[in-house]
Amino acid sequence: MTFPMATSTASTAAAASIRLLPVPATPSSRTLRFPPILRRAPRALLSVSALSKLSEASPVPIPQEPTQTLPGEDALPPRPGVYGVFDPAGDLQFLGISRNVRASIEGHRRKVPADLCASVKVAIPDEETPDKSVLTNAWKSWMEEYIAATGKAPPGNVAGNHTWIGPPQRPADLRLTPGRHVQLTVPLEQLIDRLVKENKVVAFIKGSRSAPQCGFSQRVVGILEAHGVDFASVDILDEEHNHGLRETLKTYSNWPTFPQVFVGGELVGGCDIISSMAEKGELAALFQK
Amino acid sequence: MMGSRGTSAVLSRAARMRQKLQSSLEASALDIEDVSYQHAGHAAVKDNANETHFNIKVISPKFEGQSLVKRHRMVYDLLTDELNSGLHAISIVAKTPTESGS
Repeated sequence: MTFPMATSTASTAAAASIRLLPVPATPSSRTLRFPPILRRAPRALLSVSALSKLSEASPVPIPQEPTQTLPGEDALPPRPGVYGVFDPAGDLQFLGISRNVRASIEGHRRKVPADLCASVKVAIPDEETPDKSVLTNAWKSWMEEYIAATGKAPPGNVAGNHTWIGPPQRPADLRLTPGRHVQLTVPLEQLIDRLVKENKVVAFIKGSRSAPQCGFSQRVVGILEAHGVDFASVDILDEEHNHGLRETLKTYSNWPTFPQVFVGGELVGGCDIISSMAEKGELAALFQK
Repeated sequence: MMGSRGTSAVLSRAARMRQKLQSSLEASALDIEDVSYQHAGHAAVKDNANETHFNIKVISPKFEGQSLVKRHRMVYDLLTDELNSGLHAISIVAKTPTESGS
């Protein structure tokens, strides 16, 4: 489907009326037009009402080559807002919400095939830092408008589609060797030594970081992630890429069990120690070293 | 309390661990809890699910001035034989008498 090319821009007062379609969950007061007096803080309402409808917003063309710069910041501001990305045929591919619309679109251009990003429509609330509800409401009204017109969500917003928003990004587990078939030219011990010294925080765990195979490893990964620690993980059960690591690491670290967490090349401990440091609030200081 | 020397061959792992830790660490308190049942389905313990996982709480004056890593190593070192003969994992709480408030 295509969207009419609206002549009004997102900022014109003419496009002021925003329609909130009835939300099935709360049908009572959410009629077609949303009276300014109800429920929402006036501050928030102002900016919502300044946003245009999806069909009325002006498309901003995006250069096909990611190396070409985006249109100017007046068209694509580095500000909070909602945006829709259209393919060359004018079909909506994805509806996004962002604290920095320009940066998000820049991110999509790098990640998404070029034939899906031909133009964008944006709606930017007037306020510098709009309330989150302002943005989510604007996003919802665009989504509802689109679904009402087409009967479906944009492909990029369908659950399980990871073209636009990937699955929760976790760094891959590190591997000590390219594979079992490759003859090592340096001892495994030396590879471990290099790895723990080149990475600030390393967790040797059973299983991958996204699917630890042991409760203690899982707890350590959970604690590190909860503290926002940027850490490398190594799966000691990966016999293909880390063959022999299990036994060699025990000797290297003089520590008989797993998981093992290294910070700055030094063993900090296993699950017990990491848990106890987390409880005492000592982890933040440790990872800042 | 401790089994006599003559019965050591049939002592449980828990009892052997107790003996080793108690005598070397001069522990003022020592709790050893067998939690192997919690790990019965664990891939690593399929064949021999008995006495593989323990929780150990030990209070020892020998931990004074030692980092957590060193304290755990002291415990692990005393249990090397057990770790090499089927003991899979131990959860350790290692405190000094001062820290434990006793």
